Amino acid sequence: MKVLQAKNIHLGYPRKSGLKKVISDLSFELKPNQLTCLLGRNGIGKSTLIKGLLGQLAPSSGEIFLGERDLLELSKEEIAKEIAVVLTEYAMPGNLTVEQLVALGRTPHLKWHGRLSEKDYEAVEKALELTKILDLRKERISELSDGQRQKAMIARALAQESQILILDEPTAHLDLLGRHEIMALLQELAMKEGRAILVVTHNIELAIESAQEFWLLIDQNEMLLGTPEDLIIAGKIKSLIPGETFKFDLEKGKIVFPSENLDLNVSGPENLKFWVEKALEKAQIKKLEQTIEIESKPFSLHYGGQSFDSIKALIDQIKS
Amino acid sequence: MKTRSTIWLFLAGLLVLLIGFLINISFGSISISFSEIISGLLSDNWEKESTKQIVLNFRLPKALVAIIAGIGLSVSGLQMQTFFRNPLAGPYVLGISSGAGLGVALLMLAGSAFGLMADGAVFSPWAVVTAGVIGGALVLFLVSLVAWRVNDSMTLLIVGLMFGAGVSAVISILSYFAGAEALKLFTIWGMGSLGGMSWAQVYALLAMLALGLIPVIASIKAYNGMLLGERYAKSMGIDPIRLRWLMIISTGILAGSITAFCGPIAFVGIAVPHLARIIWKTADHKVLFVASSLVGALLLLLCDTVSQLPGFAESLPINAVTSLVGAPVVISLVIRKNFSKEF
Repeated sequence: MKVLQAKNIHLGYPRKSGLKKVISDLSFELKPNQLTCLLGRNGIGKSTLIKGLLGQLAPSSGEIFLGERDLLELSKEEIAKEIAVVLTEYAMPGNLTVEQLVALGRTPHLKWHGRLSEKDYEAVEKALELTKILDLRKERISELSDGQRQKAMIARALAQESQILILDEPTAHLDLLGRHEIMALLQELAMKEGRAILVVTHNIELAIESAQEFWLLIDQNEMLLGTPEDLIIAGKIKSLIPGETFKFDLEKGKIVFPSENLDLNVSGPENLKFWVEKALEKAQIKKLEQTIEIESKPFSLHYGGQSFDSIKALIDQIKS
Repeated sequence: MKTRSTIWLFLAGLLVLLIGFLINISFGSISISFSEIISGLLSDNWEKESTKQIVLNFRLPKALVAIIAGIGLSVSGLQMQTFFRNPLAGPYVLGISSGAGLGVALLMLAGSAFGLMADGAVFSPWAVVTAGVIGGALVLFLVSLVAWRVNDSMTLLIVGLMFGAGVSAVISILSYFAGAEALKLFTIWGMGSLGGMSWAQVYALLAMLALGLIPVIASIKAYNGMLLGERYAKSMGIDPIRLRWLMIISTGILAGSITAFCGPIAFVGIAVPHLARIIWKTADHKVLFVASSLVGALLLLLCDTVSQLPGFAESLPINAVTSLVGAPVVISLVIRKNFSKEF
């Protein structure tokens, strides 16, 4: 198993006025057998970092090793056998079926004529199965939903059968269930097959749920590495959220809107109280004279001597 | 993944091509029956000496040139469209045909424009071909110099188009000063012609076709990888820079030599790859290169047949026919099928 390792790398783009630095002096290692999530704000350099890791952007100084060898010494084909990727952008050939798209993942393993062998078909089959899109195999890419297409792109990367998998926002177009399915799948691939998987994501909650390691890209020369839970307890996650507007809720493990001091008297079962308060807060109702009583079965709200069967009815009443 | 229908379509295509080939040879100012052509070609058993002369010296070379040019232009167009991921790309986007045009223009027009030569001097076909090849190769060389420096394929596309525009301007200036006879000769060359070639020229063109197809065979896998765009191609071990050079060499040889021999034949190179995609319903280049060759050969044979319907001694310029016949065919197919989904 070859490990992807960066030593004091600097990455940037040449400009007329000199190098535009994006990443400077970062060292890290993508470990096998686990799911790593790379988090950071927009424009902080995540995509540049990935270009570097794929060998598509040469570091201006420092080295990236794939196993024992410098990434820059390897041919594109050698890299492709070790690292597969799912990108955010791609040209979309509408003419391709899902099966053909996934089979493209076999490209680095094929001879010049590009014909698929029995082994290649097996890899395609397995990738379709893992991503649960066997039933879509004959569908054309142009006729898929964004989420289905995303799964097909992931299947393509899986068919490449590389030990390292890098995914740039793989859950971006997926619905709630799809997101969890994909992350669970990636976690499983990391654990069971010992792959090293790097996921770039903006979804902190989902990342906390599934990742064994976090890379928090804070600044061009600062990346915090560690177990998500350690980083949370040490208060490091907050560094992703500069400023005072939004906060990271330690207990719930997610970013929350700033809540102002509320002066609401709500009584009733805790789980219902939470949602009633949330709705009132969003409706900008911060202060109430009287207590709201919640009854759970059947759901009803009592306020000011009146009864309401929905939160909306209550809010409309208060606002009027 | 090849399916049974793919292979059936290939067989059907071959059959239609064979029929088209026979029809093409049979039609003309004198009609020749299929059986006479077949027995003549297979066992050298001709009814009349004149028929033999017509078939062997005129119609057969022309039909073969139509097939060769159809294959070469379509394969060039397919390469360009996939490499640039642009449905409007064709064999001429890198300015090759303009370059060949410039070579021929210098030969035909410059003499009379500068008063060095009598207006309307007649040139040997080989001289025209040589001028075309030199002109095409020159522009190709310049485009390659630029390609060496730029990394972005879109930039290359724009540079190719600009080269074409620049070269066309030079041709316009030459035309403006050229004598009427020379200008007419050049204009006729610009309308394209498949006929009037000696066997030596047909063999030369065939050799160029074979040469130009070698880089294509070496990059079938890479073209498939390019379907998802350059970044994905790289991540799958494909070197876009290598592919770009193979493409420049291949389309340079194919489109360059065909233009030099036949003049700039419009339309085929852009339209045929789309037809192949629509008919074969695939994006796999293992299939598409063969399919485009079949469709391209057939389309050009068909256009050539139309250009000289029986009973007419004169034949229409091939360029007018490719556009007149091809455009409606493509428009109808494109409207019926959702075109953007197919690309």
